[in-house]
Amino acid sequence: MTAEIKLTNAGVASAEMQAMRRRALRRLRINRGITYAIAISLAVWIILPIYLIGSMALTTPAGVRGFPKAIFPFTDISLDTMSFFLQSQGILRGIVNSIVVALITLVLSTLIAAPAGYAISRYVFRGRDFYRLAILGVRAFPVIVLAVPLAVLFMRMGLFDKTYSVALMHTALTLPTTVLVIGSVFASIPYELEEAATVHGATALQAFRRVVVPLALPGIAAAAIFTFVMSWNEVFAASILTLENRTLPAQVLNALNKSSPEYQFAGGFFMLIPSLIFIFFIRRYLFNMWGQVTK
Amino acid sequence: MKRKKRNWTPYILLAPSLIYLAVFFAWPMVRSLSLAFYKDDAQLSLRAEASFTSPVVGAIPQAATVTILDTQGNHLETAVDSGTITEVWYRISSSGADGAAAEGWILSDRVRVDEESGGVPTLGRIRAVRRSGADPQSSVYVQPGSSHGEVAARLDAQTEVNILELVTLEVWYQVSGTDREGQTIEGWAQSAFITRGEQDPSSGFIKKGDTGEWTLDFIRAMVADRFFMSALTTTLLLTVITIPIQFVVALVMALVIQARLKGNTLFLYLFAIPLGVSELAVGIVFYLLFTESGYINSFLMGLGLIDQSITFISIQTRHWIIIAIVLAEVWRATSIVMVILVSGLQAVPTELLEAAELYGAGLWQRVRHVILPLLKPSIQVALILRTILALQVFAVVMAISGGDIVTTLSRETYRWYSEEIRNPNMAAAYAGLIMLISIFTAIFYLRAVRTQEEAAIT
Amino acid sequence: MAEIVIENAVKKFGHFFAVNNVSLTIQDQEFMVLLGPSGCGKTTLLRAIAGLGMLDSGRIMIGGRDVTYMPPRERNLAMVFQSYAIFPHMTVYDNVAFGLKMRKADPAETDRRVKQAAELLHIEQMLDRHPSRMSGGQRQRVAVARAIAVQSEVLLMDEPLSNLDALLRLEMRAELKRLLVELKVTTIYVTHDQIEAMSMGDRIAVMRDGVIQQVDKPNTVYDTPSDRFVGGFIGNPPMNFIDGQVQIKNGAVKVQIGEFTIHPPEVIASVLKAFDGQQVVIGIRAENIETFTTPTEGAMKVQVLVVEPLGSQNLLTIKINESMLKVATHPDFPATADHDIWLRFPIDKVRWINRESQKALV
Repeated sequence: MTAEIKLTNAGVASAEMQAMRRRALRRLRINRGITYAIAISLAVWIILPIYLIGSMALTTPAGVRGFPKAIFPFTDISLDTMSFFLQSQGILRGIVNSIVVALITLVLSTLIAAPAGYAISRYVFRGRDFYRLAILGVRAFPVIVLAVPLAVLFMRMGLFDKTYSVALMHTALTLPTTVLVIGSVFASIPYELEEAATVHGATALQAFRRVVVPLALPGIAAAAIFTFVMSWNEVFAASILTLENRTLPAQVLNALNKSSPEYQFAGGFFMLIPSLIFIFFIRRYLFNMWGQVTK
Repeated sequence: MKRKKRNWTPYILLAPSLIYLAVFFAWPMVRSLSLAFYKDDAQLSLRAEASFTSPVVGAIPQAATVTILDTQGNHLETAVDSGTITEVWYRISSSGADGAAAEGWILSDRVRVDEESGGVPTLGRIRAVRRSGADPQSSVYVQPGSSHGEVAARLDAQTEVNILELVTLEVWYQVSGTDREGQTIEGWAQSAFITRGEQDPSSGFIKKGDTGEWTLDFIRAMVADRFFMSALTTTLLLTVITIPIQFVVALVMALVIQARLKGNTLFLYLFAIPLGVSELAVGIVFYLLFTESGYINSFLMGLGLIDQSITFISIQTRHWIIIAIVLAEVWRATSIVMVILVSGLQAVPTELLEAAELYGAGLWQRVRHVILPLLKPSIQVALILRTILALQVFAVVMAISGGDIVTTLSRETYRWYSEEIRNPNMAAAYAGLIMLISIFTAIFYLRAVRTQEEAAIT
Repeated sequence: MAEIVIENAVKKFGHFFAVNNVSLTIQDQEFMVLLGPSGCGKTTLLRAIAGLGMLDSGRIMIGGRDVTYMPPRERNLAMVFQSYAIFPHMTVYDNVAFGLKMRKADPAETDRRVKQAAELLHIEQMLDRHPSRMSGGQRQRVAVARAIAVQSEVLLMDEPLSNLDALLRLEMRAELKRLLVELKVTTIYVTHDQIEAMSMGDRIAVMRDGVIQQVDKPNTVYDTPSDRFVGGFIGNPPMNFIDGQVQIKNGAVKVQIGEFTIHPPEVIASVLKAFDGQQVVIGIRAENIETFTTPTEGAMKVQVLVVEPLGSQNLLTIKINESMLKVATHPDFPATADHDIWLRFPIDKVRWINRESQKALV
């Protein structure tokens, strides 16, 4: 009954009310629109540079040198620039070296970090907080400080200019992140699941293998991919530790001043590609990696 | 639930990582400090007789001038590793400065070996002479071991040489010089430590010592270096400009993500892309934008705003280079801050933000009074991480400016270690400075951005 | 005047109608309880009123203002959240003062109102403390204090007591009721606890699947539920429902439960005429069933399955045909399992329900 009476009352004041409603609705739409505009302009800010270097790398060498450059669309799509880069001296070798270094780093880092990650997420022990703090500290530590003395050491030990010596260094750099990420992956698997498995007759090892490993594997894979990307991108230590056996970034850095624009842009684009793909695959886990760190 | 039993398992599980970090972190760190503060060859010990078994009579600091009174020894060995410190001489062949073929003997110190076969050097390059006022060329002699002997040829730095054979000489000089206390001492030392004057064979100076000592020489040399102030100020300037911009942009990104628009996951992925992009690649991309025939010039010309390319990257336009580096760094490293802030925001219960909105807080008030205070721990982590990484900015600088017009501390570290200089002490001094600034800023942030709860509890 | 009018409110999540065409008017200073099982849309409706979730269609008016598209902060209301949503980084004082500070109230006035609210909730001793070390009950008080400090005309409460333990809940329930009677604000209170609803509300709106089933005074809802769902949801034990068959003999309407016959009152009988030979559902509360130990006029003989002594009463479980029946008796009533007793349904306490539509026959 009351509702009906109110309805008619609303009808009386309707003109004013309608205007109010329209204003509120418009403001709502504007707010939404502004948010979208901001989101899209930020997205453009991120994509545009990638698009521009891509359009340089995938055009003819003449297009690279041309000026003024056309921003849209691609002038001439061609793989000439890219193949010129790939055929440049030391590039193929650099790519192979980079992959080898990154793979060794990935394997070493994951093997060492996985047990540590398990320990910090599953056990309460004396020194646990200290360990976590130390790992965090190391994570933030300047790479540059480490590279020089290690280069001196490697030189003395005859390990200088070897791919595996770069991998050893990269493992040290990536290890803290990997430990923290894998730790958070294990922490996200309830311990009750392991207990349930044990209660139902599994040994501790079986419970780990049958229950924890399958659940943790995607997260660990993500951590491993991130390790790969970090190693693939690292340039300072790789440049300091190598002379002939350069990784791709070290090779490109070394040739930077002496090289043509085609070489530089194709190189930049080539180095950029794997990260685009890898980040896509691990995007779900990015927050795992950092959520834990702040706690 | 965590396992509550106390046993050795966790320690065993942690052991590999601890050992690894001790070897590849703790040790290099300590070593780095000792490289920066300890001079291996600070002083040269003088002995009573021309033999290592003879007692030490005193020590003369490196770079001191001495009078050479007598020469002894000169016996030849063919093996490189004779067990004593000696002079190694290479017989080399090369084309000389005038293009003519040169062959002769040169002291091994003058040659940087590029290739070896079975431990015997085969190919090398003449080292550059770094001392100011020094002879830019290196002499090749007819006979080994006679720095004052007949010169066969003169070679420029960086000349490639074939190393044909080598001999090891043990030559001792009797010298007289002044020690640290100002006393004149006399004794014998191996020729490898002393450079004999080219004009006056009776004078020489201590090239390097055989006894180490703690020193601030490298630090002094670093501070006196012509690039030092520029590198330090540029690094700090870049840090101070970049980080606030990154935080503001990252916060906006995080708020956009928080707004849960349609296509949220796509935006999240796009915002996170730079997280995995190589620093060098980003540098190259922004070089492409700012270079003379780059996109910014193309764009401005396309709009008809300019008739001629603007030169952004040159010694006269350092500010443009700084702007390019800042933009590149903002592009590259905002993602990590964004990811940290978003995961921090995810931990904030939505009801808190709703309550704030309901009780009248506008967007800015919510950010100021609720979001930022609750994100303090995340912000702290992000600040520390970003500052330390910003202090190491390297590849971007190299790619955009070539690393010479605008230089940073890390670039100086690289300069002193690589290329032809290879001075680990100076490199370590620069690296140590970066570490020092890092530690101070970390402590500063930990104190300044202390959360209120902490303050209330303690 | 802060009357809340909801007209044809619809809120969808994907294809799921969380709130399906709800219209409801809450009068000024009324205490309205939204009651329903979880997932019935009551919280969604409350959030729509608060402005925390936009309606897909329909409109909401508060005090004559159309607030449908207004952001929450312009609706001038206060809310107590289920998780309390106390700001952990602020002191209790700052929490309570938050709404006033955001509205840029005069500092002296803010201070006065914070102290007043704190006093009402007995938290004046804790104003300097941080909430991180407070108990659930204390946080609850802070949340309520924050809500009343802004002195808005509308107070929304989203299951405010559900996170408290049983004893504290009982205590807070009484205290909240006293407070809200004093404050005279229009209150919408969401809960799934029917005792809370019964004891606190001026009126109860029972919701199910996004639709309001019945809106009325607590006792009315209890005694005369509008349908089978409401009767089953409210009351502990829930209302009994037994199937009966309508038979018309010589113009007289009878309802047959097994061998037992009930004669419906005149009003019902006229409705039931249309159901000749069909099934009808009889609803009756456990405490309204009369019990006898000996054969009695108009009572049916049944066998007791279970006896549950509850202190103030005994609860008997009885099987009639295929239906289970709960009967509340005085604790002294001598019933034992497997023994026969006699039951009688007082005809004025019986609720007659259409078996097809599940709705009560008026």
